[in-house]
Amino acid sequence: MFDIRLGDRGEVVLSGRFDAAQVEKAKSVLDTLGTTTEVDFKNLQYISSAGLGVLMATQKRLKDAGHELKLRNVSGHIRDVFTIARFDLIFDIK
Amino acid sequence: MEQQFSRDIASLERAFGFIDEFAEREGLDDSVKNSVYLAVDELFTNMVKYQPANANDITIALEREAELLTIRLIDHDVEPFDITERKDPDLPASLDERKPGGLGIYLTKKAVDTITYDYRDRTSIITLTKRLRRNDV
Repeated sequence: MFDIRLGDRGEVVLSGRFDAAQVEKAKSVLDTLGTTTEVDFKNLQYISSAGLGVLMATQKRLKDAGHELKLRNVSGHIRDVFTIARFDLIFDIK
Repeated sequence: MEQQFSRDIASLERAFGFIDEFAEREGLDDSVKNSVYLAVDELFTNMVKYQPANANDITIALEREAELLTIRLIDHDVEPFDITERKDPDLPASLDERKPGGLGIYLTKKAVDTITYDYRDRTSIITLTKRLRRNDV
């Protein structure tokens, strides 16, 4: 089960499994962002390359407008995947 | 354990359930389970994406023998596509130079120890193995 919603501070909160079947659901929220936004990974269990692709496309769109996604509470499997994909080079990750 | 899945991205939910059942039966920890999710997700999605007109189900088989985990995906009546020949993607520091695609197979390679590809009788068989460490179970 995957969920994506906006939190009280305007941050994006992810939970569950972000697999290839969840791309449209994720885009329905990420495509609405128009400013620098934190994405909370604390409750996300799993991410695939499809999830990375959506994050990267959003980052490109926001950076072109002078904003960015900041990835927060990244640990375990998600951190491993970000490291392999060298997301540390293109995102602010904590 | 072996199961057939219809050629649809929506089948991933059931595939994850199949992996959960296997992981529970074998007492695998979350780290190993996530590696299996990743391998199955990426390879299954490729098979759906590149052979959309094929009506055949895709078979996923999971086995554990002592400390060796084997993941196998079998796709019938398809053209060959040897994922082991795919070059690793460039991962430049510049966002503008990053290209979409190519990451799935690369992440899969990193998640397991070996990948072999067999093609016979118009059937693709991708076999991945992962050696379990003492703290993985």
